[in-house]
Amino acid sequence: MGAALGFFCASMMVLAQDPPLADVAKRVDARMVKVFGAGGVRGLPAYGTGIMVSPTGHVLTVNNHILDTTELRVHLADGTRVMAKVVASEPELDLALLKIEDSTAPDDLPFFDLIAAAKASPPKPGTLVLGFSNQFQIATRDEPLTVQRGILAGITPLAARTGAFLVPYRGPALIVDAITNNPGAAGGALTTRSGELLAIVGREVSNELTQTWVNYAIPVWASVELTDAGGATRKVSVSELVEKKEKYKPSNPADRSREKPATVETGILLVPDVVERTPPYVDYLTQGGAGLRAGLRPDDLILSVEGTTVATIASWKEMMAGRKPGQPVRLEVRRGEKIELITLTPDKPANPPAAAKPVAAPSAR
Amino acid sequence: MSKAKANENHPDRRSALAALLMAPLAPGLALALQDPIALEEAKRIEVVKRVSPSVVAVVTGGGSGVVISPDGYALTNFHVVQGQGGALRCGLPDGNLYDAVLVGLDKIGDVALIKLLPKKDKDGKDTPFPFAVIGDSDTVKVGDWSFAMGNPFLLAADFTPTVTFGLVSGTHRYQYPERGMFEYTDCIQVDTSINPGNSGGPLFDMNGKLVGINGRGSFDKRGRVNSGVGYAITLNQILNFMGSLRSGLLVDHASLGATVATANDEEVERTQVLVSNLINSDAERRGLALGDEIIRLAGRRVSTVNQFKNVLGIYPKGWRLPVTYRRRVEGAGSQTRQVLVRLMGYEKREVDESGRPIAPGGKPAPRPARPGQPMPPKPGENPGEGPGGKEEGPPSPALKLYEEKAGYANFLVNKQKRDEALAGLKNAMGDLASAGGLWTAKGKGFLGEKKMEAPVKFEWSELAQGKPEIIRALVDGVDFALEPLKPDLTAQALRDPAGSGGMLTALHLMRLFLAKGEKAFPQGMTHGGETPLYPPLDQDPEDWWPLRKNAQVLEGTLGGTRALAFITEEKGTDGKVWNRLACLEVWLAADEDPCELHLDRVKPVGGGRSMPHLITVRHNQVNFLRLEVDSWELR
Repeated sequence: MGAALGFFCASMMVLAQDPPLADVAKRVDARMVKVFGAGGVRGLPAYGTGIMVSPTGHVLTVNNHILDTTELRVHLADGTRVMAKVVASEPELDLALLKIEDSTAPDDLPFFDLIAAAKASPPKPGTLVLGFSNQFQIATRDEPLTVQRGILAGITPLAARTGAFLVPYRGPALIVDAITNNPGAAGGALTTRSGELLAIVGREVSNELTQTWVNYAIPVWASVELTDAGGATRKVSVSELVEKKEKYKPSNPADRSREKPATVETGILLVPDVVERTPPYVDYLTQGGAGLRAGLRPDDLILSVEGTTVATIASWKEMMAGRKPGQPVRLEVRRGEKIELITLTPDKPANPPAAAKPVAAPSAR
Repeated sequence: MSKAKANENHPDRRSALAALLMAPLAPGLALALQDPIALEEAKRIEVVKRVSPSVVAVVTGGGSGVVISPDGYALTNFHVVQGQGGALRCGLPDGNLYDAVLVGLDKIGDVALIKLLPKKDKDGKDTPFPFAVIGDSDTVKVGDWSFAMGNPFLLAADFTPTVTFGLVSGTHRYQYPERGMFEYTDCIQVDTSINPGNSGGPLFDMNGKLVGINGRGSFDKRGRVNSGVGYAITLNQILNFMGSLRSGLLVDHASLGATVATANDEEVERTQVLVSNLINSDAERRGLALGDEIIRLAGRRVSTVNQFKNVLGIYPKGWRLPVTYRRRVEGAGSQTRQVLVRLMGYEKREVDESGRPIAPGGKPAPRPARPGQPMPPKPGENPGEGPGGKEEGPPSPALKLYEEKAGYANFLVNKQKRDEALAGLKNAMGDLASAGGLWTAKGKGFLGEKKMEAPVKFEWSELAQGKPEIIRALVDGVDFALEPLKPDLTAQALRDPAGSGGMLTALHLMRLFLAKGEKAFPQGMTHGGETPLYPPLDQDPEDWWPLRKNAQVLEGTLGGTRALAFITEEKGTDGKVWNRLACLEVWLAADEDPCELHLDRVKPVGGGRSMPHLITVRHNQVNFLRLEVDSWELR
């Protein structure tokens, strides 16, 4: 009897081990969406991919330029077109959570249980994985996404760039041998051979050292540990973002490790740095801060620092990073149709710079 | 997720699985089952080895191809042979270099049919070629494994092909045309590496069946090499064009004669394809109107513009396809109808000002710069081209099999196919040329099911120099006559009887064609490829699509009138194949419906001749008259 049962189980193993890939693809595809938003210029696609993580229409995707619009649209797997908005995002994870805004949409949409998936053992290098995304916008409306296969090459903290800019995500990444990270693939799913969610396909990036293309995905179990100015630590994780949804509180920008330590306090808050070349518009001035004292106003566009043109928020930060407190800096700003000359005298930073370090892959589990 | 599942393809899995299996099984059985991966690999190696001899290295132009018949027909991409003239050189994995001739071109679909010239064995017989077996590309599914073979980066100096292996990433994909060419419709998307030089090479399924011709990829920032997205033209699309390609044509793709758009209304939950514009076309004559929702095309459901273009894109110009549409009717919900629509051409111009075909004389595609590009190798990568340009040597024997003419890929092939079809017809119908006298056909006439009271008679006068030709038709007690060569014939006279679309003119051309063959037309006839023919039913069926039968088409023009002869292959009770003139379409004007003469029940009439004994006159999708012939008299 025992032998017979054993035989039965073994046969089932052989039969059950490989569900047909066509079925796996269908099942995953039903839980994926196509995202359409900002872009279409400078080689930045206006389309991307997203993963359904709740039955009520929460979509996990990469926190990139596509989301920088009020007209964010999502095409569900069946071709239904709905509007969506960003309800939460975590820059440190480079992820955002969207919610489809359609009162008529069903509340039992197929979805991935990401929180459960995050508790599973991480895959080992050598595992066969599948990539699902709408790269190159090959699929429209209800057409199924592109499926690719690859081998998990390794799990390592990411250190990569998109063009001149560092990728905000510095946490653990799954590296695959397939070319999964093509235009529009960000927000796609990396799954096991049987369609279980492993990771979120990231941006098109190159290795910081070798400048070669890297195909990476952010694992569902990823978390990054941040240390704030006061030395307190906070762990941000994909699970937390998906679990708290609208209630998720993103990490403080000041806690981010990749920015050069602020040596001065300007009291100037610029508009959110969402696209690669966001111009440095003043959004807000802190009470009694150096910016307000110098006569800056919200909506001013900073044109130059000490005669050097400042085109982007990134270059503004770069230029202000090495300044000394109390030493005046000459700025040119555009206010409406006029150019104004402003002398800014920055203060001392209130707290010493913060540092963040990625949490390693939970290999011990 | 269990550990076993997560690590399915991990090397450790084999031994773990084997251990699991070994325990309860008899050792012999366990041995056979123990390593499914090894078995799978062995099978794959066997398949690759089996199909490999059919893979072509196209030396001229620098690309790949695949032999599909023992007499040497091979497929490649148009962009591989573009600008290379009619004679090509190809290598096979047997290490030999073969001369090849251009046969047919589809520049929009990016397909070329070429024919390799066989080597002679020691008895002087042609050595048959190893060839790939064509599979049904509609059975290819997302997630299927596939492998590509060919000559990427022109590595195969000894013509041994490179194999790349991967997953089918998508099916029924649409890729926009580029400069009016290379529109990949309904194509297969693979993550199998497709690199420059792979163009024109085969995509095989894991049984070694040929399912696609690789030719394009999506590229962006990573340069013009594989970026995980390659496209293959499906064999099913190519088979639709095969009859035309084999006839030496420069084939054209089709448009519907109506523009469609996906309904963009946010309230529309289901995607719809709506007619958004109509031109003077068969689609309009068949009754399609603005706002009609197209539901099915050629038996396939369409719900997006991409799907519509996918289906339309796999059929040649001139084919008639069933279009099912839904129309909202005020207060009556909606009506669904199916009509047969004759497809218009896709290209406006096939010939440039000098009368030369644009395609074969065109320049090779420049380096592509945007996604979804074809992949010709750089000129310097072509081993057939030395520093001094093309290699010197005696003229290729393939040139004897090639004739250049505007609108054709190879006009010599077209003439040969035409002559074969005419000879087949003559063989089946006997010597009708010698019957130059009076012809009569008498019998019973029907309008639908209703039999006419008076007998029907068709009569053709003697064909003799200087004598007027007269065609008479006695229908339902009315005597119609036409003297086609009489000057000042009215437009109505040519179209008599009213409602027939020109039955008398059509009968006239039928007699001329049967008696004189292509000499009935001052400029002769050309072969127009293959097209589906539908039976002349009294009642529209629920679906026309399964009723189609393939026919070869011969075209000729007399005066301003165009005649299309549809020739089908029939199998006799004795198993012999014979050619039948199944239909003659006579077009008095390009923008009105033709008169169709459907000719059935071919039976002997004495003197070694055979004639049709059921003639159906059809116009505007309605049977005008059916004549069941009791007797033929041919003098």
